[in-house]
Amino acid sequence: MGDLYLESRLDFLRKTQNPDGGWGYFPGRKSWLEPTTYAMLALHATPGAEAPLDRAWKLVRSWQTAEGSFRPSGQVQGGTWITAHVVTLASVRGVYDGDVRRSVDWMLSVVGAEHNLLMRAASALHLLKTKLDVSHEGWPWREGNAAWIEPTAHTLVALKKVSGKYPGAELEHRIRDGEMLVLSRRCSDGGWNCGNPNVLNFDLPSYPETTGLALLGLQGRSAQELDGALDVAQRFREETKSSLAKAWLGIALRCHGRNPSAPSGESKVPGDIMLAALEALGHADGNYKLLRTGGRA
Amino acid sequence: MTRRQFIPLVGIAATASYASIRFQKPPKLSDGPSANSAVAIIRARSYSEDLVSRMLEGVRQTGLDVRGKRVLLKPNLVEFESSTVINTDATIVAAAVELFHRLGASDVRIGEGPGHRRDTLDLADDARYRSTIPKFESIFTDLNRDDVSPIRGFADEKEFYFPNTVLGADLIVSLAKMKTHHWAGATLSMKNLFGLVPGSIYGWPKNKLHYIGIPRSVAELSRHFRNTYAIVDGVVGMEGNGPIQGTPKPAGVLVMGHDLVAVDSTCCRIMGIDPEKVEYLRLAADLGHVHAGRIEQRGESIASVQTNFALIEEFSGLRLA
Repeated sequence: MGDLYLESRLDFLRKTQNPDGGWGYFPGRKSWLEPTTYAMLALHATPGAEAPLDRAWKLVRSWQTAEGSFRPSGQVQGGTWITAHVVTLASVRGVYDGDVRRSVDWMLSVVGAEHNLLMRAASALHLLKTKLDVSHEGWPWREGNAAWIEPTAHTLVALKKVSGKYPGAELEHRIRDGEMLVLSRRCSDGGWNCGNPNVLNFDLPSYPETTGLALLGLQGRSAQELDGALDVAQRFREETKSSLAKAWLGIALRCHGRNPSAPSGESKVPGDIMLAALEALGHADGNYKLLRTGGRA
Repeated sequence: MTRRQFIPLVGIAATASYASIRFQKPPKLSDGPSANSAVAIIRARSYSEDLVSRMLEGVRQTGLDVRGKRVLLKPNLVEFESSTVINTDATIVAAAVELFHRLGASDVRIGEGPGHRRDTLDLADDARYRSTIPKFESIFTDLNRDDVSPIRGFADEKEFYFPNTVLGADLIVSLAKMKTHHWAGATLSMKNLFGLVPGSIYGWPKNKLHYIGIPRSVAELSRHFRNTYAIVDGVVGMEGNGPIQGTPKPAGVLVMGHDLVAVDSTCCRIMGIDPEKVEYLRLAADLGHVHAGRIEQRGESIASVQTNFALIEEFSGLRLA
């Protein structure tokens, strides 16, 4: 089933590229940066993909803002966390020009809004309803908001991938501090949710998909620091019904050197472009390696 | 003053400011619109009853003309946990689809943008939406990943984006769940509108709304979307540590009406919560009625269905005297 599973998804992606070069979340819909970057990673270096991906890259780059961030789609003004995906993609494509540098600088300038004096003081005086460690910076979905697991994990991948090209103390600090934020927000059941493990002294449960994403951002951390998280992820992958969660967990486990079982059961290609791309990326023969960041701990 | 001396002072001042924000006196409650609002309380003791007939009764009592209109049903689909009742029950959503077709709507769609989980269809599967609602996938839109358009004037934001499916609807029906809520006190038809905000732009959770302020965001959503109708699923609600980790609480009712503020205020009274103490209802009291005297209660009386929902300590002060 392996090759057919992968090829059917790649074929679906080839057929659903929009005339502007991007991909929508669903076939025939307007292009968005998130499904476009996942589709580009999934199709990278596959036969016949060069020209379509060049068109896609041209579209993606047209969405860069003056400050270096990227808009999530042509319909939306203002840059977001999605900037991390473009930097990762630039690294995969070997592009390290001034525009990419501006994106990296923008990411380094953005911190979770809870990392401020007011919140730190409120936290010290136990005035917050959560038990967040607000000493870490992390990355928000949008500038001016709090840091969460998914945008932090994607930004960690991006910064780690370009750290050799743009070395610097600030970049190294943000990577290390971002990892600490992820580690500090682990749920009591061993996985991660969106990034809030406790509210009003009630522990909240983790989710499989965000556990996969957290582990993607934590590549390079020691087994001791991960403290059994890979086993939790493995169990989640076996138990979850969610195709999205299976895909992220597969990608994360493979990036950590594990070899999760091949997808089983129904192999119908989803009508969801982002999901199809992530399933292709997470396949044993897929491009998950492009999200590897190496041992940096 | 050195930087080392200055920072603790700023911290103290900032913390005092934060504390004053938390404990400041709420604004005076508005008298609301000039006309009274009708709210129907319909008995429905279980999900196996004829829910379409029950809803038709509620529509008759509150008045609603949807002939030729594009209707968007917005259930509360948040997370799934088999041991409790987080989501609007699938039978309620299925009944509402049939109801609005029967009432002559030109199009009936279901839309939701869950705030925590990104695999919306998997969530819908767990909540039995896919197995219970005919042709579910063909009439469902994941509002988190719909195409969007900007609007102006939402919560003083220069631009705020909403899904085109939402902006194109003639009527948005908030199919909410009757639950307590650990940030807002109660989540009902107004708070349910958080799911209209697209995660593709504002994230999971929709943290921008938290920074605007949860009560203010709830009020602003109701202020912006006036083409609404509410059907609150209180057949089995949730008490205690809602909206996710609470416990099932049978209330045996559907609460329906055009005025979401009045519907939610009525739900609060059924739950044993004083709506005048719920901040988002106070903020939206110019849009609809909070005062019991301005709500024309149809169907069952509040007294006949009232059942106190357990409240976490944080919200014990909301208890209706």
